Amino acid sequence: MRLLRDLGRRKLRSFLTITGIAIGIMALVVFGSMANKMNALINGGSKYYADKDVVSIGSMFSGNFQPLSLSDVEKIKLVDGVAVATPAIDMLLDDSTTATMGTPEMISGSIAGGDQGLENFKVYAASGRLLTKDDTGNQVVLGSDLARKMNASVGSTVTLRSTQFQVVGILEPTLTAPDKSAMVPLGAAQQLFLKTLPPMLQNAVNVNELATSIIVYPNKGVSPETLKTRLEAALGKSYTVMDGKDFDAMLGSISTIFSLVLTGVAMLSLLVGGLSTINTMAMSVAERTREIGIKRAIGASRWRIRREVVLESAAIGLMAGLIGLAIGAVMTTVFNDLGRPSGNVLFDLTLGTALTAVVFATGLGAVAGFVPAWHASRLDPVTALRYE
Amino acid sequence: MEILEGRNLRKTYKLSRKNTVEALKGVEISIGQGEMVAIMGPSGSGKSTLMHILGLLHAPDPNHGPAPELFLAGQNVAALSDNDRTKLRARRMGFVFQDFNLVPTLTAIENVLLACDYAGIKGGAAKTAALEALGLVGLADRANHKPSELSGGEQQRVAIARALVNKPEIILADEPTGNLDSERSAEVLALLRQFNREHGQTIVLVTHDSEVGEACDRIIRMRDGRIRDHGLQASARALGGQPVAASA
Repeated sequence: MRLLRDLGRRKLRSFLTITGIAIGIMALVVFGSMANKMNALINGGSKYYADKDVVSIGSMFSGNFQPLSLSDVEKIKLVDGVAVATPAIDMLLDDSTTATMGTPEMISGSIAGGDQGLENFKVYAASGRLLTKDDTGNQVVLGSDLARKMNASVGSTVTLRSTQFQVVGILEPTLTAPDKSAMVPLGAAQQLFLKTLPPMLQNAVNVNELATSIIVYPNKGVSPETLKTRLEAALGKSYTVMDGKDFDAMLGSISTIFSLVLTGVAMLSLLVGGLSTINTMAMSVAERTREIGIKRAIGASRWRIRREVVLESAAIGLMAGLIGLAIGAVMTTVFNDLGRPSGNVLFDLTLGTALTAVVFATGLGAVAGFVPAWHASRLDPVTALRYE
Repeated sequence: MEILEGRNLRKTYKLSRKNTVEALKGVEISIGQGEMVAIMGPSGSGKSTLMHILGLLHAPDPNHGPAPELFLAGQNVAALSDNDRTKLRARRMGFVFQDFNLVPTLTAIENVLLACDYAGIKGGAAKTAALEALGLVGLADRANHKPSELSGGEQQRVAIARALVNKPEIILADEPTGNLDSERSAEVLALLRQFNREHGQTIVLVTHDSEVGEACDRIIRMRDGRIRDHGLQASARALGGQPVAASA
C-alpha cells in the first residue's frame, strides 16, 4: 500500500511511464496474438503434409503449375510403396486474390473416400455432412470462416466462380487452411478448373482427366521421404514431389520472420520502456534523497532501500503490463470481430501470450529499477539528510 | 559503567580534491550508562561529526597513528562494516533530528512502525510498541495524522516516539529543539529528561542552546575538532538527575 501511495504522489510521471510501457506491451500482445494465429495455420499445414507426398507439375505455391492427368495417377500407383494415390484439384476461390494474411480462400476438389481411410488430418461437419461418393453434382462443404463470410447455412445456395453450389455441410473450425476452403466433388472442380485454362488448352484437354495435384499415401513402413525419392525417379524431372519436410522448410521461413518481428517489438518496448522507467525511478530517488537518508539513519539497510526502489519499479511494470494486456485484448477482439465477416480472423490471444506480456513488463520494471536502486542504496545517510 | 567510550576519533572530510576539512582531530570521550549529556560548541567545532560517529552513521577514520576505538557497551564498533553499523543503529540507537525528519507520506504511527520494521519487530508486537511510544509522548490520539497535519512540536514528539520505540540503549539528538519556540523546546526537553529519569535512558544531545545544555547532567564543550572540557562527570542517578554545573 505504501508503495502505491509513493507512485500516487507522482501521478503524472508515473502515468506517462506506465503509458509508455503499456503501449509496448500492447504491441507485444497484438503481434504475439498474430503470431499465434500464424503458427496455428502453419502447424495445421505441417500436420497435413507430414504423412504423405503431394505430386504436381510446377509448384502450387509458386503459381506456374500445369494440370496433371488422371493417367499420372495410374503411373504413380505402380510405384513400389504406394498405398493410395488420389487426384485433387486446388484452385483459388477468386483469381483476384492477392497476398493475404494467412491462407487464401480455396476451392478444393477431391474424390470422397479417395484416401481409403489413410488421411490423418480429419475434418468434421459442424452442421450438415461431409461429401460422399453419391455427391456427383454441384454440392459443397464450406469451411467455417468461409461459411460465415458467405453467410451460408446448410441447404442454402452459394456461387463459386459464377457456378451455383448447394451447401450440404459446414466444417468445424480447424484454425488452419480448411476454414477458408470450399470442398467440392472432383467432377465439379474439374469443370471450374477447365474455365481457368486458356481457350486453346480448353479444347485440347479431357475435362474428366484433369487434376492439379495427386495425393500419395505411402504403405505402412515406407516413409514419405523414401517414397518421394522413388516417385521422383519414376515420374521424371518435370514433376514436383513435396513431402512434409519440404512444406516445413518452405513455411518455416514465414514463421521465422514472424518471430523476428515479435522479437523486434519486444526489444523496442524493452528499450523505450526500460529507459523511461530508469528515468522515472532515478527522478523518484533524487526527490526522495532526504527520505532515504532518514530511513538509512534509523536503520534501513542498503538492501532494504534497494528492495524498496526495485519493488516500486516492478509495480510500475506490472501495472503497465496489465494495462497493455487489457488494451491489446480489446484490440485483438475488435479486429477479429471486424474481420470475421470477411473471413479475416488474424489474432489468437492465448493465455501463454497474456502471461508472457505481463511477466515481461514486470521483469522489465524490476530490472530498470536496479540502477536507481543501487544509486539510492549508496547514498551517505548524513549527506542525504542534509539534502534540500 | 560506560555505555560509549571513544579514543583517537578522527574524521577528515574531503570537500574537493584539494580542499579537506579536519572535523575531528583526535577525540577521547566517555559517556556513562543513564547519563544525559549535552555536546556544545560553536559551528564547525566538530560536534555534529562527533555525534555522527557516536551514532554509527559514519565510521571514524582509520588513523595512521593509534587506531580509533569506539566501544558500545564494551564492544569495539570502530571498524564495523556499513551493514553491521546499520544493524546496530536499528536495534540499539534512537535518533532525533533538528528538522524532525519524518517521512512525509507516512502517518505518525507508520513513521514509528518504520523503526520497528528495521529493528526486526513486526506485526502485532510492532503495532503495540508504536502505540505505546506515541502514548508516552502524548500523541496516541494523533497516530493517524500525516506530519503535515501536525505542529512542529508534535512532529518532534513523533520523532522522539520513533527513536524510543525499540527501547534503544542510547538516544542521539541533533539540535532537537533547534526549530522549536521556547515553550515547545521546554516540552521536548522535559520529555527527554523524563525518559532519562524513569527508564534510565542514555541521551546524547548536540545543542547551541545553553539553556538546553544546562538542563543536562553534563556539558561536553568542543572547539576546533577537539574536546575542550569534558564537564564534571557524575552519576546522574546518585544526584537524582540534578543538573551538574560544568562551567568552562
